[in-house]
Amino acid sequence: MFTQFITILILVSIVGCILYGRRLIRTEKVDAVFGNPERAKGGTHWIIVGSSAILLIWLYYSWDIAKGFYPKSANELCQVAKVNESLLGLKYQFPIEEREFKSTSIIKIENKNLQIITNEIQSSPDLSSQQKTTLVGFINETRQLIPLLTNENLMETDTKIQIKEMTEEIRLLTSNFKKNDYPFETDEQKNERLRAVSEEGGWGITKIQSGTGSIEDTIEVPLVPATNKGLKFDAAAKELEIINDKFFKLRNHNPQFKSSIKTLKDKIKEYRGGLDDTEEVASTFAKNIVKIARRIEFASIYPPNALNEMQNAIVEFDNVQKSEQGGLRFVDMFLFPAGTIVSSGTSCSEQGSGRWLPKPSDTLNKFILMSKPSVGYKNIPLLWIDMMDVSKIIGFILPDWIADILPGEYPTHTKDGVVEQNFKGRVLKVVTGDFKLFKIPVPYGHIWDSFLRVFLGLIFGILIGVPLGLFMGLNRFAKGFFDPLIELYRPVPPLAWAPLIISVLGIDNTGKVFLLFMVSLSIMIISARAGASGTQLSKIHAAHSLGASKKQILRYVIFPNSLPEILTGIRVAVGMCWGTLVAAEFLAGTTGIGFVENVAKKYFQYEVIWITIFIMGMLGLLFDVTLRKIIDKTIPWRGKG
Amino acid sequence: MRKILSFILGSILALNLTISVANSAAKEVRVAYFLEWPSPNLEDMQKKNFAKALGVPVKWTNFTNGGAMTDAMLAGDIDISYSQGLVPFINAVKSKAPIKLVDIAMEYGMGGTTCVTSNASGITKANATELEGKKVAVPLGTMAEYVFDESMKVVGADRKKMDIIQMDPEEGAAALVSGDVVMSCLFGGNSIKAATAVGTRLLTVQEARDAGILGIDITSVTTKFMKENPEMLRTFIEVTHEANDRYRSGKSDMNSMSKASEMKVGDMKETLSGFKFLTPSETKQSMTKGNLDAFLKGMGTPRGNVDTSFLPL
Repeated sequence: MFTQFITILILVSIVGCILYGRRLIRTEKVDAVFGNPERAKGGTHWIIVGSSAILLIWLYYSWDIAKGFYPKSANELCQVAKVNESLLGLKYQFPIEEREFKSTSIIKIENKNLQIITNEIQSSPDLSSQQKTTLVGFINETRQLIPLLTNENLMETDTKIQIKEMTEEIRLLTSNFKKNDYPFETDEQKNERLRAVSEEGGWGITKIQSGTGSIEDTIEVPLVPATNKGLKFDAAAKELEIINDKFFKLRNHNPQFKSSIKTLKDKIKEYRGGLDDTEEVASTFAKNIVKIARRIEFASIYPPNALNEMQNAIVEFDNVQKSEQGGLRFVDMFLFPAGTIVSSGTSCSEQGSGRWLPKPSDTLNKFILMSKPSVGYKNIPLLWIDMMDVSKIIGFILPDWIADILPGEYPTHTKDGVVEQNFKGRVLKVVTGDFKLFKIPVPYGHIWDSFLRVFLGLIFGILIGVPLGLFMGLNRFAKGFFDPLIELYRPVPPLAWAPLIISVLGIDNTGKVFLLFMVSLSIMIISARAGASGTQLSKIHAAHSLGASKKQILRYVIFPNSLPEILTGIRVAVGMCWGTLVAAEFLAGTTGIGFVENVAKKYFQYEVIWITIFIMGMLGLLFDVTLRKIIDKTIPWRGKG
Repeated sequence: MRKILSFILGSILALNLTISVANSAAKEVRVAYFLEWPSPNLEDMQKKNFAKALGVPVKWTNFTNGGAMTDAMLAGDIDISYSQGLVPFINAVKSKAPIKLVDIAMEYGMGGTTCVTSNASGITKANATELEGKKVAVPLGTMAEYVFDESMKVVGADRKKMDIIQMDPEEGAAALVSGDVVMSCLFGGNSIKAATAVGTRLLTVQEARDAGILGIDITSVTTKFMKENPEMLRTFIEVTHEANDRYRSGKSDMNSMSKASEMKVGDMKETLSGFKFLTPSETKQSMTKGNLDAFLKGMGTPRGNVDTSFLPL
């Protein structure tokens, strides 16, 4: 329902905005030529068209439009897929979708293989001419097996009857299939089926069970036929499956063939038994010939016209089932682009773009479910707050050795088993945070962890990078001393450090924050240095002649002048840090967006993968927008110096 | 504007068509396998015996993990996956992938997949509950995760209380060495060698075997290929079992096997000594009511994805 509404809304807005845009163009200046910036001004209506188009493509290729408008179509297509699956083996025997009979292509291939092996035997230097004659004799006998199978006169009556029976069964199915009340279900069966349908649920995520917290077991395409049309196909598929099995068990072996192949096998066995160890080549050739003979024995080879009736019956059924599909075929064609529903015996699944591109509605549902703190991902919420005692923070800040350096001893237990607290013990409790104060909310979760890593890496990078960069821009020694160091490590892609840093600093936050620090540091140094050395000399001279000290020049002239460069540097660094972080979390981790994506990949949870991608995009955008706002607020002189 | 619209419509049409064309049948068989995971039929791969037996060219592609094999099969690039791990197969089937299990490639004791605890942590089988609340490295979604689960059941520790870190074996070994984790579950000779340098196996190979922990690698096939070319699939499995037979009777050509698996002959023999290649009847036994069946049931696998009809019995 919701998807339907959104789809229509998107279509209307796209058309409306395009019309509006075209009308606006007509009212605009006509003298604006190509290349005039006036022509590239954009506008909200074009933004709407752009983002709606993306959403529409997503809705279309994830088959969400099909789900919205025809919620039962997946279930029906699943039943059709069952029919196609049971027909596949039979169809493949005939030139229906292939160019030739399966028998024909097998005979062609095996004749070719026999020819190849003949050539190999003739040109083999390890065989005596007598062996060659014997082996070629075997090959000729193998070759003569084929006409025994393809001769209609030799075909056994029993085989013929069985083929006829199967043909009749298909015909009966075809005529029944056209009837409306096929497969003649009783009320009892119907009730049972409908109960199974309601138990199974709908296509995709239709209801969210936050109580169980399970987001891994969602059913993709319901298997039990829910509609009458679906039931027809389901029943037909079951019958066809039986016929199919019967056909593949059937072998066109007449007594002549059986005795010939037995003689051949015995002969070759006897021949191989008579060979000694030095004649292994001949033995291998003989073995390969037996293999071909056995393949001919196993393959379904029939006389050219023996299966004509059956082929007609199958084609007829195929046509009937296609026409019975009716409107469903068009739904399949137009609303299931780039793939379709595929059945594999025990389950139906989306194969094609619907598999790796989850539906927006499913993704939204899963996102809502995952955002619930009680569910989260791998028992950790995406973003939530935890109440933490302030004492923990105090304990973290105050170093523990304060208690150690105090005079006296830590309390020991008396012989009554009581511990009496003393001053030194109390101090230890304070510095380790082992006391109760008031609680404050602290955010935690995957998103927060990722955010914090980026934030800390960035802050450390700025705190060290900016002063160092300014120093390098102003001091000859610093420039010369640090330049080779920085220039050497800067061009290395940050991820190249990752394995090393994880080995040295471990897999905890320290390693990841340090990696991000390295990323942001070089960028901050370069931008601060460029900002400092780019200050116009006239301004410095002016300040100097007004009596400014070194400190004042730095504080009031050079620093404000380099701020635009520094803030641009921060924007670049945020982007780099973000990219590096996700890859670092891929390597090792228990939390973070990158970790979520990496684990989701292992379990084929495409919805979760897309959710993480969106979260990353959104967070990146948030960072960037915030920074742009800060830049606009703090340095109004940017671009005017 | 008209140009843009027609371009968009044209490309939508083209995309829809290309994907449906890509699914039509190809006249070759595409097989996925692992390097450094030797098996007797690699000799046949090296000598092109499969192409001879199947009558069509056989293209072998190597992969690094079973999950990637599934992905390639679903994308229509691979028909048969040889020696895919059972856990990746189960994950795929649980996500309703249309693939079927048709043969067991090999069973192996857990010499090659194991959990190692660091000596510094002092954790052994006896006090394994101390693992709770500590960090352990596990490559999720692989056979090592299964070994981890089973080992935890044996030693009576609760997996839910541990801090499980997703790490591939090489990194897991490095994290164990650096002391970041107290236990690391891993596979592959080099990683285990690195981990056991600073740690010990939580369960010895014998203990794991006694507890019934064993690994199974399987042959899986796309449903489409199975339906369309049953005789080719049967031949493929037959040739594989012939190679296993040859190996059991000691007639395998070790040099060409080592070349095919890109291992040294000595290393390969050591790895092979931990593998058990089943006969067709043993395979059927395992698939219907033996180890494989128990494994699938234990992991809550949907039924109906195992087919024994292609075994050369």
